[in-house]
Amino acid sequence: MELFLQTIIDGLLIGGLIIIVGIGFSLCFGVMHIVDFAVGEWVMLGAYAGYLMVRYFGHDPMIYLPVIFLIFCALGWMIYPLIFRAVSGKGHNPVIMGLVFTFGLSILMKGGALSVWGYHIQSITTWLSGKGISFGVLTVPALRVSGFAFGILVTLLFMLFLYKTKFGIIIRATAQDRDTANLLGADVRKVGALVYSLYAGVTGMSGVLIGALFSIHASMGTKYATLAFFVVVLAGMGYVPGVLVAALVLGLLQSFVTVYIGGRYTLAALFLVMYGVLLITPKGILKRGI
Amino acid sequence: MELQAAKAETLPSSLVWRFTPLTLLLVISLIYPWIVSPLWIRLGTEVLMWAGLAQSWNIIGGYTGYLCFGHGAFFGVGAYITGLMMINLGLPFGLGLLVSGILASLLALIIGYPTLRLRGAYFAIATWAFGEMIRQIATILDFTGGAFGLQMPSYLNLPYFYYVMLLVTGLTYLTTFLLLERARFGYKLLAIREHEEAAEMVGVNTVAIKNWAFALSAFFPGVLGGVYAYWVTYIHPDSVLGAQITDFMVVMAFLGGIGSLWGPFLGAIVVQLVQRVLWLFWGAGTFYLVIIGAAICAVVLFIPNGIIGLRETRIFHPREAISQLRKRIKW
Amino acid sequence: MILQSHDLVKSFGGVTAINHLSVTVEKGMVLGIIGPNGSGKTTFFNLVTGVYAPTSGHVTFDGKNITGLRPHRITEMGIGRTFQIPAPFSKMTVLENVMVSTFIRASSLKESRKMAWKILELMRLDEKAHTQVLNVTLEDRKRLELARALGTKPSLLLLDEVMSGLTPSEVKGAIELIRSLRTGDLTIIVVEHIMDVILSLCDRIAVLDYGEKIAEDVPDQIVNNKEVIRAYLGDRYSARH
Repeated sequence: MELFLQTIIDGLLIGGLIIIVGIGFSLCFGVMHIVDFAVGEWVMLGAYAGYLMVRYFGHDPMIYLPVIFLIFCALGWMIYPLIFRAVSGKGHNPVIMGLVFTFGLSILMKGGALSVWGYHIQSITTWLSGKGISFGVLTVPALRVSGFAFGILVTLLFMLFLYKTKFGIIIRATAQDRDTANLLGADVRKVGALVYSLYAGVTGMSGVLIGALFSIHASMGTKYATLAFFVVVLAGMGYVPGVLVAALVLGLLQSFVTVYIGGRYTLAALFLVMYGVLLITPKGILKRGI
Repeated sequence: MELQAAKAETLPSSLVWRFTPLTLLLVISLIYPWIVSPLWIRLGTEVLMWAGLAQSWNIIGGYTGYLCFGHGAFFGVGAYITGLMMINLGLPFGLGLLVSGILASLLALIIGYPTLRLRGAYFAIATWAFGEMIRQIATILDFTGGAFGLQMPSYLNLPYFYYVMLLVTGLTYLTTFLLLERARFGYKLLAIREHEEAAEMVGVNTVAIKNWAFALSAFFPGVLGGVYAYWVTYIHPDSVLGAQITDFMVVMAFLGGIGSLWGPFLGAIVVQLVQRVLWLFWGAGTFYLVIIGAAICAVVLFIPNGIIGLRETRIFHPREAISQLRKRIKW
Repeated sequence: MILQSHDLVKSFGGVTAINHLSVTVEKGMVLGIIGPNGSGKTTFFNLVTGVYAPTSGHVTFDGKNITGLRPHRITEMGIGRTFQIPAPFSKMTVLENVMVSTFIRASSLKESRKMAWKILELMRLDEKAHTQVLNVTLEDRKRLELARALGTKPSLLLLDEVMSGLTPSEVKGAIELIRSLRTGDLTIIVVEHIMDVILSLCDRIAVLDYGEKIAEDVPDQIVNNKEVIRAYLGDRYSARH
């Protein structure tokens, strides 16, 4: 019984962290119809960034979160015009071009990371590592709880931003009807750049936490890309509120498979489920996707 | 393809001009192993393999417009099937290859029927997931040797594999030429790529055609995988089922020119040469991945029609090209 | 009769786009369908051509039940259709576009090419035959749309707002073209917004509103039908005629 509860808690906590990766990714698709194949690599780079900060400046990686957010926002802001160009070619399917471009981007990033850091596995620790919080009979790693809390916090901030600020309304309008939004004065390019840099910033930031929780290596991107795809497919591409539910489901699934079937099968199980969902309800379980 | 109508009415003497480069290529490729060192034979064999792989991807990705990001799975599956057939059943090499190709096609039909119902990004993600899933499964299963892979007895000598690759890749290109450039099948694929609903509306059985294209595009990687297995004698999930196989296929096809007959071949040559040059100067490492990634980005940004597409642009209109380039440099 | 829809219903979630629609079309006639935006005209075409499956009801063509068949099968059986917004195969040439549509009728690529040329000449697109559709004007694209539909040698042709976006002189040309198609047994259903076109081309007119047929009659009667006048033609028009 205890194991069962523990598994659930673990799953939910991981899910909370995964939300961040899913939200940015989903928003990216919802607003710009761009599937960023490099999502896993943004996480990976964020993790390495955290690692570098700690190595050269010391202290706890957590304090660098805002800095990393800003750095990655800037990176996203710089890269977006290229993506925009790739997607706007005359006579070419924009979704395909965007896909292939970000596909190339992911290879570039991964290759770069491999070239610089090789196949070694790194890790970073924070003051929360190794500490536990007790909830009655259960002890939960404090780091995971903070990851979960962070995920929820970011989600709330995102929701606030999207639904209560002027920018947020513009973004949602562009997502629903780009041409009309354009006519009404929204600079679609700037909106895209803003969304993409937010996405890069948040995803990079999540990399730091993920790096603290798990190991850091150049190939870790694949796993998180899978998770991001999974979350977004389950939630329906572009349907942001669904990401919360989907991420938690994902966390639970991963947790249960790891504990009751075996760690080796986790990724395979995830793939099978994602595959199944794509085939049965391509628009997500709630059928609200694009 | 719009040149075809003009081609059909060419004079006999022009035919000679058209076929001469091809004949030359054929002759050179046949005597190649006799005139170069083993190192170059190996390079040539690899280039041929990739040319075949890239073209196979081109069938479903370039002509039909369905980007399969897990296509490497068919290569890996073919490698394993041939390996297992020969180790466990003692099948002769040729038969093993044929079985690999057929089973790979079968797998494509099974996966394709549900997956081809998805569009654009969804199809890409689903096939990417499929590719990774196959790799995971190969790592878990026992009879495939798990993470340790399979070891095959060493077969014949180097030039032998070269000619086998040449044969298979040659068949790939011949099939593509006959079925996609000179038959209604090819037109239908392009129609599906350009506007699937309209294609369906003018009588094209899009579901059937798509699935056949996918199965065809999986056959040759299956066979090539089998050849590769026996050539290198040791395969494991990361070497034949890893994402890099698909990555290469995609970049070669895009660089050379998707939807064209010779594009993938050009792409294969360029990428392989660049990789070797990089290895020469920076040592066998992973830096070439950076170049590959940058290359894909550059191709999408500047030459989305690939090197083949350049034929119709800047080379023939330098002044126009320069002014266009100037405009582009401003973001 | 050549086409009949029996009590057709089509709902999308909470919206009923087609509400118990029964239409009969006789062979060789030109039927016009009018109605405000959202009245279900294009949905009706989509139901007939198999793009949608009806929620209930069925469609018979030439005596056979075609409900639920896939669009390419229905095209094979003889129904051709144009799209409201032209949907050409952009990177292929004008000729190749029409060739593809002849595949179901021709036995070889060569024959397809011949058939396509004939159609291009009929539609006066032959000079642009080897031009990529990407580089072709809207008017030509509309004509290509029609050419492609003709390539399938339909016995029933569905034209979905072919005139939209055309200048008045282009419209005149289009009307002549459609009239010339009537030789033989070709049945045509025309969806249009331009009243002059509908009135001059059609033998009968059906009027849709919220997915229901509120009137069906000869043009003269439709023009005088009170319901129709008030809802769709506007009081000014009825006052003029």
